[in-house]
Amino acid sequence: MRPFTLNYAFPRGLPNAVTPYHFDPARQLNVLPDGRPAVSDPDLLLAVGTTTSTAGSATHFDD
Amino acid sequence: MTVLILTSEEDVTADMVVARLHGTGTPVMRLDPADLPGKAVLSADFAHGDFDGHLSVNGHVLSMGGLRSIWVRRPGEPAAYAEHSSPWLTAETRQALYGMLHSAAARWMNHPRNADQARLKPWQLRVAHLSGFAVPPTVFTTSPRLAREFAEEYRDVVVKSASGPPPGDPGLALPTTLVGPGADFSAVAAGPALLQRYVPKRADIRLTSVGTRLFAARKTAEPGQVDGRYGDTGHAWEPVPVPERIGKSVHEYVTLAGLAFAAFDFAEDEDGIWWFLECNQGGQFGFVELETGQPISEEVALWLAQRRADRRSPESRR
Repeated sequence: MRPFTLNYAFPRGLPNAVTPYHFDPARQLNVLPDGRPAVSDPDLLLAVGTTTSTAGSATHFDD
Repeated sequence: MTVLILTSEEDVTADMVVARLHGTGTPVMRLDPADLPGKAVLSADFAHGDFDGHLSVNGHVLSMGGLRSIWVRRPGEPAAYAEHSSPWLTAETRQALYGMLHSAAARWMNHPRNADQARLKPWQLRVAHLSGFAVPPTVFTTSPRLAREFAEEYRDVVVKSASGPPPGDPGLALPTTLVGPGADFSAVAAGPALLQRYVPKRADIRLTSVGTRLFAARKTAEPGQVDGRYGDTGHAWEPVPVPERIGKSVHEYVTLAGLAFAAFDFAEDEDGIWWFLECNQGGQFGFVELETGQPISEEVALWLAQRRADRRSPESRR
């Protein structure tokens, strides 16, 4: 039998967009294609939603 | 003295703190335990009654003797990216890494022992009550009869997960949801259900606690909205002052829980009462800072970079 709580789950759909930044091992943070830290562009971070309370990794549930 | 941040590479919220630490010239190492063994290397020698250990990754080297503080942010499972990953290898790697770190004289945000306890939702409710918060009636049960009786007593009840969506299925959402009238509770027998009296709210409150600093933000809710994390209300997070009584309760809670960092969720009802919903010991704060301008990452960086324990602030210690 499916647990009661899971009756209220639904597929949320994963975003198809690729985050426009990548991790820089030397600087230990994510950078934009022009080399600026990703955190220097707050509007972009809000747009991609990677800092939101539902953006936890697959190993964490701390929203 | 170096700050160690345990988190994944894609964690841009951690970037906000790394950038602050860079700005103050504070040495920092960022390590994802998933990269150990492999990209990261560990060595801990026990001699003369203590450990002399080193960690290295991406060309950065950290000596345990130079470790100032540890921020357990969003670390991957140890050995998750190893060539021959297995539950056994994860257990072995966890022993080596965390055993070494627990032996170091460093401050933790948050100590894993306290973090493990703080994640337990039933425990949270008891500590919240002891701390003076308003807590909605709640039941955790595998009894369909008790679940049905709870729903009949409180009429409007919500169901929520205690541990989040099933791990390994990032495409699944499990929001807090109103249980409709006439619900069939028989499936409660198949897994513990968390039912709580619904709190009609006029706003969501997110309060972030860093040491002794508190940052409260408020977002107006839509009529009938249940889970503020889902759905666009058209409202933004706005900074709000922390009521004195709430501030005292937060201080009591983080002291009892031994948390240096915590993110509290409240529902503000029509009378202005902040009802405790949960406390996320590793909660996200990036979205709050980006929308409100509250300097949360700066405060986290300051806490991690402190040379000594601030005796006024809740400590995460061994």
